[in-house]
Amino acid sequence: MSSRTVCVVDYHMGNHASVVHSLRELNYRVRVSNDQAVLNEADVLVLPGVGAFPSGMKALHSLSLVSYLQEQARLQRPIIGFCLGMQLLADASYEHQYTMGLGLIPGEVVPLINPQWHIGWNSIECVLQDPLFQASDGQVFYFNHSFAYRGPSEYQIGLSRHHKAFPSVVRRGSVVGLQFHPEKSQGPGKELLKSLISGLCHA
Amino acid sequence: MLKKRLIGTVIVRNGWAVQSFGYRRYLPLGKPECLVQNLDRWGADEIFVLSIDRSSDRLGPDFKLLERLGQLGLGTPLIYGGGIRSVEDGLQVIRLGADRLCVDAILHDDIETVRGLSRQLGAQAVIAALPLSYRDQRIEWLDYRTKVSTQVSAKDLDAITLGIVSELLVIDWEHEGQPGGFDHRLIAHASLPAEIPLIAFGGLSEPGQLIELLSQPPMAAVAVGNFLSYREHAIQKIKTKLIGMPVRLPSYESMYSLTADV
Repeated sequence: MSSRTVCVVDYHMGNHASVVHSLRELNYRVRVSNDQAVLNEADVLVLPGVGAFPSGMKALHSLSLVSYLQEQARLQRPIIGFCLGMQLLADASYEHQYTMGLGLIPGEVVPLINPQWHIGWNSIECVLQDPLFQASDGQVFYFNHSFAYRGPSEYQIGLSRHHKAFPSVVRRGSVVGLQFHPEKSQGPGKELLKSLISGLCHA
Repeated sequence: MLKKRLIGTVIVRNGWAVQSFGYRRYLPLGKPECLVQNLDRWGADEIFVLSIDRSSDRLGPDFKLLERLGQLGLGTPLIYGGGIRSVEDGLQVIRLGADRLCVDAILHDDIETVRGLSRQLGAQAVIAALPLSYRDQRIEWLDYRTKVSTQVSAKDLDAITLGIVSELLVIDWEHEGQPGGFDHRLIAHASLPAEIPLIAFGGLSEPGQLIELLSQPPMAAVAVGNFLSYREHAIQKIKTKLIGMPVRLPSYESMYSLTADV
């Protein structure tokens, strides 16, 4: 068993069983909570999520987690967002109506156009040197989304292509966003999580 | 590049996984959880669990089954279909661990609810199932509850699906369970909306069939059910015969070391 503890932030958006299962298979201690006392004990915070951006932000506000997560990012605590969780890291989103996000990674979340969604297994191409993602360059992961991050290229570590390229991996310091679902991406997803969590904890 | 997908399908009736033949004859296979675990282990690109008696018996979605599947902590995306009557049903299905929904009966009854599901979850989470047949040079759409087929036009399908679902599951219900049975005329003659990617299901058993379908641009995935039974590593075996197609390579769990480096 690893000495590292990963806490899945429970803001009532989606089911966390696959995330928990993946992390436990990697031998991490896993907690699922929205209690700040529990979150404080974790080495890494994971923000998963399925659903719409405004509902996600509303849930985070109702649990008083917005300022908490912003403070943790300032303290350099590793935070990893998956899918909707990645989008929430941005400044704002145009999903349904313009909604402010956590503002941890500069940029906005905009709708995909032609086609309007991106579903299935696609590869990531690393466009910035980052040892945490080196082993995952070219690997395929599971995507299921209709909005994507748009922001400064300095935060875009990896791209994926579906007619046009869009950022699929973003990072600002200890805050990382993955547009895909590593917990639903079988072996490559677990390999990436292992490298990412280990790397962020040692950084 | 986005890969085309091989979807492992589990048909559930009365809580048991079954082999289904032409929507009328069923052979029991066992617990759905066991089949789903196998598909997860074999590296299916998605797993589709379809509870076929939930709408006709007005039972709603099989939440208990979904709870059990959710507890498995699957590493493969899960699609669930069966008994979805309302937006709240759909949301609960997702809360219990499904990644996407497949709707059929509600397309006939209440398109506004499908629109509501799409608004709440995003169209990427909604698939429309269309059991079709080709008779007398025309395409017919089956309401499986009444067993009545009616002619369906491109305009009808556009009105039903455009903008609110992300994929159409074209089911050859007459040839379901029949080796090599899928009728390719369903794709050629159905005038399906060009903007919506397709999934083919029903009577798909032969690699040549899968290659022919996956070679067509609108085909995003093929779904295989009965023909994955009674063999080990069935997904990998099919995938090795699809080399050269834009699909994910077969994967084997033992390739990966899963111990955390600390």
